[in-house]
Amino acid sequence: MAVCIAVIAKENYPLYIRSIPAEHELKFHYTVHTSLDVVDEKVSAMGKALVDQRELYLGLLYPTEDYKVYGYVTNSKVKFVMVVDSSNTALRDNEIRSMFRKLHNSYTDVMCNPFYNPGDRIHSRAFDNMVTSMMVQGC
Amino acid sequence: MSVPDYMQCAEDHQTLLVVVQPVGIVSEENFFRIYKRISSVSQINVRDSQRVLYIRYRHHYPPENNEWGDFQTHRKVVGLITVTDCFSAKDWPQTFEKFHVQKEIYGSTLYDSRLFVFGLQGEIAEQPRTDVAFYPNYDECESVEKRIEDFIESLFIVLESKRLDRATDKSGDKIPLLCVPFEKKDFVGLDTDSRHYKKRCQGRMRKHVGDLCLQAGMLQDSLVHYHMSVELLRSVNDFLWLGAALEGLCSASVIYHYPGGTGGKTGARRPQGSSLPADAGNRHRPGALTTNGINADTSTEIGRAKNCLSPEDIIDKYKEAISYYSKYKNAGVIELEACVKAVRVLAIQKRSMEASEFLQNAVYINLRQLSEEEKIQRYSILSELYELIGFHRKSAFFKRVAAMQCVAPSIAEPGWRACYKLLLETLPGYSLSLDPKDFNKGTHRGWAAVQMRLLHELVYASRRMGNPALSVRHLSFLLQTMLDFLSDQEKKDVTQSLESYTSKCPGTMELLSLPDGLNLPPVPFTKLPIVRRVKLLNLPASLQPQKMKSLLGQNMSTKSPFIYSPIIAHNRGEERSKKIDFQWVQGDVCEVQLMVYNPMPFELRVENMGLLTSGVEFESLPAALSLPAESGLYPVTLVGVPRSTGQITINGYHTTVFGVFSDCLLDSLPGIKTNGSTVEVIPALPRLQISTSLPRSARTLQPASGDEISTNVSVQLYNGETQQLDIKLENIGTEPLEKLEVTSKILTTKEKLYGDFLSWKLEETLSQFPLQPGKTATFTVNIKVKLDFSCQENLLQDLNDDGISVSGLPLSSPFRQVVKPRVDSKPVNPPEGSKTGDFSHVKTLEAILNFKYSGGPGHVDGYYRNLSLGIHVEAEPSVFFTRVSTLPATSTRQCHLLLDVFNSTEHELTISAKNNEELILHAGECQRMAIQVDKFNFESFPESPAERTQFTNPKQLEEERQETRGLEINSKLDIHWNIISFESVEGILNQLVLEHLQLAPLQWGDHSFLSLNHVRVNEVPCSLLWAVYKSTYYESDLNKGVQPRKNDYFYFHSLLLTFHLKVYLVAYIGIDIAVWFFFLLSNECSVFLYEERTQHTALKSE
Repeated sequence: MAVCIAVIAKENYPLYIRSIPAEHELKFHYTVHTSLDVVDEKVSAMGKALVDQRELYLGLLYPTEDYKVYGYVTNSKVKFVMVVDSSNTALRDNEIRSMFRKLHNSYTDVMCNPFYNPGDRIHSRAFDNMVTSMMVQGC
Repeated sequence: MSVPDYMQCAEDHQTLLVVVQPVGIVSEENFFRIYKRISSVSQINVRDSQRVLYIRYRHHYPPENNEWGDFQTHRKVVGLITVTDCFSAKDWPQTFEKFHVQKEIYGSTLYDSRLFVFGLQGEIAEQPRTDVAFYPNYDECESVEKRIEDFIESLFIVLESKRLDRATDKSGDKIPLLCVPFEKKDFVGLDTDSRHYKKRCQGRMRKHVGDLCLQAGMLQDSLVHYHMSVELLRSVNDFLWLGAALEGLCSASVIYHYPGGTGGKTGARRPQGSSLPADAGNRHRPGALTTNGINADTSTEIGRAKNCLSPEDIIDKYKEAISYYSKYKNAGVIELEACVKAVRVLAIQKRSMEASEFLQNAVYINLRQLSEEEKIQRYSILSELYELIGFHRKSAFFKRVAAMQCVAPSIAEPGWRACYKLLLETLPGYSLSLDPKDFNKGTHRGWAAVQMRLLHELVYASRRMGNPALSVRHLSFLLQTMLDFLSDQEKKDVTQSLESYTSKCPGTMELLSLPDGLNLPPVPFTKLPIVRRVKLLNLPASLQPQKMKSLLGQNMSTKSPFIYSPIIAHNRGEERSKKIDFQWVQGDVCEVQLMVYNPMPFELRVENMGLLTSGVEFESLPAALSLPAESGLYPVTLVGVPRSTGQITINGYHTTVFGVFSDCLLDSLPGIKTNGSTVEVIPALPRLQISTSLPRSARTLQPASGDEISTNVSVQLYNGETQQLDIKLENIGTEPLEKLEVTSKILTTKEKLYGDFLSWKLEETLSQFPLQPGKTATFTVNIKVKLDFSCQENLLQDLNDDGISVSGLPLSSPFRQVVKPRVDSKPVNPPEGSKTGDFSHVKTLEAILNFKYSGGPGHVDGYYRNLSLGIHVEAEPSVFFTRVSTLPATSTRQCHLLLDVFNSTEHELTISAKNNEELILHAGECQRMAIQVDKFNFESFPESPAERTQFTNPKQLEEERQETRGLEINSKLDIHWNIISFESVEGILNQLVLEHLQLAPLQWGDHSFLSLNHVRVNEVPCSLLWAVYKSTYYESDLNKGVQPRKNDYFYFHSLLLTFHLKVYLVAYIGIDIAVWFFFLLSNECSVFLYEERTQHTALKSE
């Protein structure tokens, strides 16, 4: 259902980005990159809110003609961005939310790997599989 | 209306539009000079009132936009100023006609117009006209501003009259219906008398009056009118005009809330207005109302607060207005402009998220088919607006789209320059700097895919622009910074295109400046190849300069009196890390070793690789290398010659790769290992080269030697032989060789060496000094090999080792008691090096000749060089003395020395001694020779006290004495040998030395002793007999069936000795004594001796 999933570091560079129509990879790079503006804006607006009350899910960042871009930010300001085909109307906000939660859990697992240096690109098979499952599911 | 004005902002609603246009042929420069002066008059306080009039000047305005003037009055062209050149009076009517034509274009809406004529003088110019102003030329037109002010005042009068006219119109019976161009046909045949229609007319008129009030500087009035208009229009669902009324309301509120303006061009637009404090502005507005005398009561204050929208409401109303606009396809431009205005307001309010929504909407507003230029304009403005709300990435995205639009294939003349410029502007949005220094900190973190795309586009655009230097720079940058992200195929492609570009324009290290002030820093290829380690190499050992010892004292580097102090230790460490403890020499080739590797999937050709240095004049000798694909670490040595003295610092290296010249500084290289980069260069020294008459040897000396040997020679000599070694000394440097010292060092060997191994005379050589460059001197060294000539040394040594002093031992002493215990102990630890036979054993002697030399300026500074020549001599055994004894001669002053000589060579040789005939020995033959010698007394030797006192150790003293005695004996005997078949060896006759078997028993009487390998045995028989005893003991062992132990040298030696001694005893001591002696020792032996005796007697009798 997701066509592109990206993990972006605190300093706004990609840690992981994958999209399924591989030939349009660059397009998704652009999409995710520009969506960071919105993420930044939302995060800075949220900054004033109490930390424990903070909602990690950012909701729809912006819709484009063909896709919807959703965002999620962890407490350590690592961002998850998911691009979803806008024709897929069956996808509810709650489902997106649960997908992000799954992604977050998987990311936490990656971080727990003692051989992973925070800030490096993610090369994890488990994470890959998880992302693949989220992309294929429902398509 | 089809041409959107993207620059519009909310406060433009209060402006009057004046078009300034040239008529006829007016040079652009002149026109814009005047235009600039005209447009400086952008706001005017009219008629001493507090009302301010704002003017918006345009030099170009599409007339179809003018048709929307009723809809929003700020779109209406109310003033026209034409500028023209006219030089003669006869042209004047024509010019004036043109002016009228121009007026016709905007005729329906114009309030007033002016014509500025330049160049015309004479009577026409004299006549005063209000609509025409004459100026002699473009420089003398001081009154332009004044004219414009007058003009604006006249506009104001019209405006005011219209406003008042319309405002009071409501009492009139018929209100005309205002409508936009596309509406006109819709209202044909509509019932004009219906209430609905009337309301619509009223509402629209209210809105129009609101616009006029706003333009006339009556903000509060306009707010009231807008509110009323909104009420009216809402009730009749006249959405387009409702939208306009709402937008008018928003504009008026924005003007009230943000007197600074939202357009971002405030400074230029309203210098006076912005300088006014906000509260001052507020104070003036009520006054503005009172002068009009409409609402003089205080209720206006309340009304104002009510009428004016709050900042939040402004956005809501904008949203509403835009949603109404969007119902009409023909109002696309209005909608788009409203979006843009709203975004500007939101940007002021710092509500980026909502602004982005407005922009998002603006993106999708579909205007009619846009021309390419309009597309570019649209994308650019979107980019600007995104930038305004802080969405830099989005801004960069649109800017890039705009850039691509500039060179769209449908455009006949692609604007590569504009494209390139726009692309450059996107760089910050993609967080890409063109300075490679920013990429030195570890791995690159960024949107590599996107950045690479951008760089590719920059390369392409700059190439199409016809600036190959730029494309080379960008391509180098791409290669250098994005190397990790390029696939193998991409690496190939990029390098190929780089090579093709550099063939036309080689890459340099210069800063490239773009016309718009951007500087492109040079891109050194620090990753092609990657350098991992930089190591300054010392000079080869033979060329290393050394400091004279005498000068070293004052040169002690430690300033502290303490050997170690924790306080300065740290500093020292730091110094050490930068400074290197060896020196380079001026004029000599110095080397720096780099460990490099090639990250490319193909062979990398690096040309012109050399060192970058500072501090000393340095002549770098560049190298070219070719690194195999993805090579491992690969050592590269860069060389150069320092031409002056001082501290030299290696700053980096330069390369040329793919035609790009790079200077790579070590400081900026990440993860580089270096042993320091500063080294001292000392003044020039001469260079000595030696060549010898002997063949060079590949083998090196024993590693223990510690010195580095530049040359090795080897020679094979027979024991006792002497060879002359001619050494040619050549000064191959550039400085004269002034000093030379020669020393030798014999490397420790197990062999005891007698006499001078190496001897030379330096004086002859030194007489040729100073040796000028290129000159040669010769130097001769004699090599003498004098080793032990005895073959029994092991046995005899063994005697010595046991410390059994047999000197003066009476024969009758209880010998067994001493001997017994060693039977057990001896075989346990046989001495080393006794595999033996010893006859064929080749012994190795090694020595080093050190040439210390100096000269030139380096000598003045107290430096010298050391050149070492390793000499490797293989000493082959020649003759051995297997047995030695003496026999009393006829005279008591003399005796016969009997020697059993064994020839271990493969050649026939002759032995001769003093006053004896030569004895010919065949290969492997053993013969006895007898020499008659005078007895002498060792005690009579004069001992040079000076030498003796040096050896305080008694043992040393003893050895010394022994040696002199040996030499003495030697000279007396003068035994020498000669290999007949060898011509070359025959000169070495006099040096056959018997040092290990110094023959001593020349006085049989009171002073008889035999020195056997440094063991003095006073009584020959004793020692020999003891040996005999020992051997027989073993023999008896053998007889008893005890197997001889392997490697029991002692055993075999003993057997051999027994045989010899038996013969000896029988022959010289006399058979009877022998029998007696042997009888004492062993029965078995005695049997043998008995047999021997009978044999002997038998012989005698014969």
